[in-house]
Amino acid sequence: MSDIDEKVAPRREDRLGAGCVYGGNACGLKAQFGGCRLRANQRGFGQGSICQLLPGTAMLSTLPNTVVILHGSLGCGGAINLQTSNVRYRQLLGGERNPQGAIWMTSNLDERDVVSGGEDKLEKAILAAERRFRPAAIIVVATCVPGIIGDDIDGVAARLQKQVQARILPIHCEGFKTQIMATAYDAIFHSVSRHLLTREGEKRQAPVIADELEKAREKIRRSRLVNLMNFASMSASEQGELTRLLQALGLTVQVFPCYSDPERFVDATEAVLSISSCPTHDDYFLKHLQEKYGVPYILRHMPIGIAATGDWLRDIARFFHLEKEAEALIAQETKELEEALVPFWANLRGKKALVSAGEVRAFSTAAYLQELGIEIVAVRPYHYDEFGESSLDRLVEKQQDVIVNVATIQPYETLNIFEKTKPDLYMGHIADNVWAAKAGVAVVPIWHGGFSSAGYSGAFDLARRINRVLRNPSFNRHLRENLKQPYREAWFAEDAFKYIQEAVTN
Amino acid sequence: MATNTFIERQRSFCALGGALLTATALPDTVPILHASMGCGTSIYFNQIGSTGYLGAGYCGGTATPSSNVGENEIVFGGLDRLREQVTNTLKIVEGKLYIVLTGCMTDIIGDDIQAIVREFRADGAPLIGAETGGFKGDGYRGYDLLLQALFRDFVEPRSEKVKKKVNLWGIVPGQDPFWRGNLGHLGHLLGRLGLQVNTFFNRGAGLDELREAGDAGLNIVASRTYGIEAAQAFEEVHGTPFLSAALPIGPTATEAFLRQVASALAISERKVNGLIAEEARRYYGYIDRIADAYNDLDFQRYAVVVGDANYAPAITRFLANDFGWLPELTVVTDDLPEGRRGSVRADLTDLASGYKTKLVFETDTSEVARLLAEIWPRSNGQRLYDAFSPAFVVGSALDREFALGIGAGHLSVSFPVGNRVVLNRGYTGYEGAMSLIEDLLSVVVAAR
Repeated sequence: MSDIDEKVAPRREDRLGAGCVYGGNACGLKAQFGGCRLRANQRGFGQGSICQLLPGTAMLSTLPNTVVILHGSLGCGGAINLQTSNVRYRQLLGGERNPQGAIWMTSNLDERDVVSGGEDKLEKAILAAERRFRPAAIIVVATCVPGIIGDDIDGVAARLQKQVQARILPIHCEGFKTQIMATAYDAIFHSVSRHLLTREGEKRQAPVIADELEKAREKIRRSRLVNLMNFASMSASEQGELTRLLQALGLTVQVFPCYSDPERFVDATEAVLSISSCPTHDDYFLKHLQEKYGVPYILRHMPIGIAATGDWLRDIARFFHLEKEAEALIAQETKELEEALVPFWANLRGKKALVSAGEVRAFSTAAYLQELGIEIVAVRPYHYDEFGESSLDRLVEKQQDVIVNVATIQPYETLNIFEKTKPDLYMGHIADNVWAAKAGVAVVPIWHGGFSSAGYSGAFDLARRINRVLRNPSFNRHLRENLKQPYREAWFAEDAFKYIQEAVTN
Repeated sequence: MATNTFIERQRSFCALGGALLTATALPDTVPILHASMGCGTSIYFNQIGSTGYLGAGYCGGTATPSSNVGENEIVFGGLDRLREQVTNTLKIVEGKLYIVLTGCMTDIIGDDIQAIVREFRADGAPLIGAETGGFKGDGYRGYDLLLQALFRDFVEPRSEKVKKKVNLWGIVPGQDPFWRGNLGHLGHLLGRLGLQVNTFFNRGAGLDELREAGDAGLNIVASRTYGIEAAQAFEEVHGTPFLSAALPIGPTATEAFLRQVASALAISERKVNGLIAEEARRYYGYIDRIADAYNDLDFQRYAVVVGDANYAPAITRFLANDFGWLPELTVVTDDLPEGRRGSVRADLTDLASGYKTKLVFETDTSEVARLLAEIWPRSNGQRLYDAFSPAFVVGSALDREFALGIGAGHLSVSFPVGNRVVLNRGYTGYEGAMSLIEDLLSVVVAAR
């Protein structure tokens, strides 16, 4: 029996041996991971982390034609008030003159429901979502509270599916169940795989074929049809850049899952190849597409940086026997990029940086900074598992001694490392950057909605931003001079990883 | 207790979120969450997206210490983990007050956090705790719960009252994106009545102000809805009576507010008349110089006001009573049970201008358009149709689509405000009303 046949996707701790508590160097990390499982280390002092619900709603709120229902207390889902700004931005880019943003509801469980169950409220919410918005999909996301009071969201979904036109997708996303926020991707793809990959009713219309030549063209097109996997933190311009590169190899590109209509997901089963641009994000889904629908996949590199983008393209080209074309494309793109980067060298070379983000993005971005001549003092992936390995290796090739601190944020560790290594530049995600800013250094957010860092144009864009920010970090310098960090002086004299309690065994 | 239904695009934090924002609004204060690992950052995301980009502050956001309970604690209890977390927080993080706040999970499993709090207090640690599980209500509820805990366990008892000393609250940090400016304007006005005013959360105020609040002669709650139970708790513990007044915006409401306060404290008629006259003179001095444009460019608008139980009635009253606009529909978006709706209704029944608005309690964002269509029938194609135009929607960022859909101008005032940046702006009193006029009319002239 495959995981997909179960109601709930397994936790990444169990499926991949993923862990999110480590401090040391890359060599030690790889030794502890041992190719299979990071120890279940704990922190004796913790700061607010990220549960799987946050990346969960980041991804789900992008789906057009969809209502997302948070089944839980009314606080869960409030992050959508921020995440919707990216959704609105994409809707504007798509030509929508009056963008709606994300449509979502909360079942608003209160003290009575905690005692007597919240399924009735959830039912009412689903019916209202159908009546008010006529969406293609209604996504029911179970948060902590129903996970503990025992509401059966799968039962509710199955029961109501008979009266509701929208596909109802139950998703188990209880924050307390896993420490690895990336479990969210599996939880979502689990439900997508169970509910959106079959065509209901009419079969897909065969395209009208005018003549034999057209027929041949269509056949070639179908033989080059690929799934490009995006993610919530891939901007429109990044998606455009990766699409451009694939099209330059003669491929036909369809993009999933973010900003993809629920009714279109079934098309993913008809591609000849799936291409991941973030292994940590996609493996659960791509493995399922291969197992059940015979769509092979490539899942190795994140196309950030010159070498990584080249390797990403080479893997894809090999599948289609387009090696020669790919080498020509890579050579041309690299030459143009390197020429364009020349003016930034003087300002970037020799600077020191600290990078924090999801594992693959953190390692890949750090490796690109090395290509720009920036030294990496530490890298802080949110978690670690096998998918981080190739990008970590790339990073360590140039600097064996780089500090690796596996942590889902935990700024007290960041700042401790900071005061000891004194970087010039910090790159982290939203919610994380401000602490580096108060430490007085230049900050380039590693991602936001209008940002680009993938492919060749992204590499240029990133270098351009770093160059700009380094030109005048005085705003943050004033923060350091005028504001106080909340930590006692004594903390900065301690080992940064003092509160990491190593589990005895794997 | 909520009205027992789902909410579409709700406009508040959960109880934990409201309490956390309240805690981070206090100076030198360190919140300690006893909650699932994601609660703090989820709340922070909502905070950034909804409160005019209010940042983490001293030790909020992702720096917030948190016990990050998981399955193990939920099965076996989380108190050992909490004890460890508090111990290490005291070692690493510097604060004058530490506040343990619980989330859904730890409330459901029934962790007795007060027992842990007592342990540390016995050792002299400045620690209090409040049970604020998200399912207990919205952010306003969390604010009230934390205030109650502060008043019971942090404010020192004082038997001697200082007659001219007042505490001011009812304006909820974060839930009201303009809380700093709003508290500031009212605090300043009350100061000019000769009062010593504590606003606790406002910029510059120290923790001592809160610790020593017990000898206030009167508590002023600038809300008919928020912080009322906390005022009752204060009265019970410290014996200070309170008055609850509608959030005052503009000359008519602010005059009434000042008279209400003056009468409760037996401040002389002469003094309050003098202040009101002086403030009105100043206010109309500015209005004088916008009167030309108001009339030349026909600045009057139909309006729909959508907001929380403080803002929706307060803005409606200002628009109808002072600004000559036509607020046809007022939507209060809080999930208020019937028993707490009366005061909001009362504040909108007899408007000084005689203007009548339609008041509706509705939590769901997409319902606002339907409510307007109910009171203002859509055109059925007639050539001479009395349209709802020119119009303006004063609401939140969630009401932009509705506003654009009816061709109305739009200003975000009430939560969530993700399309404006807020520092010290406020809308209360005379001063705030002028800011509101600037913001409303700047939208009207933006395309000129």
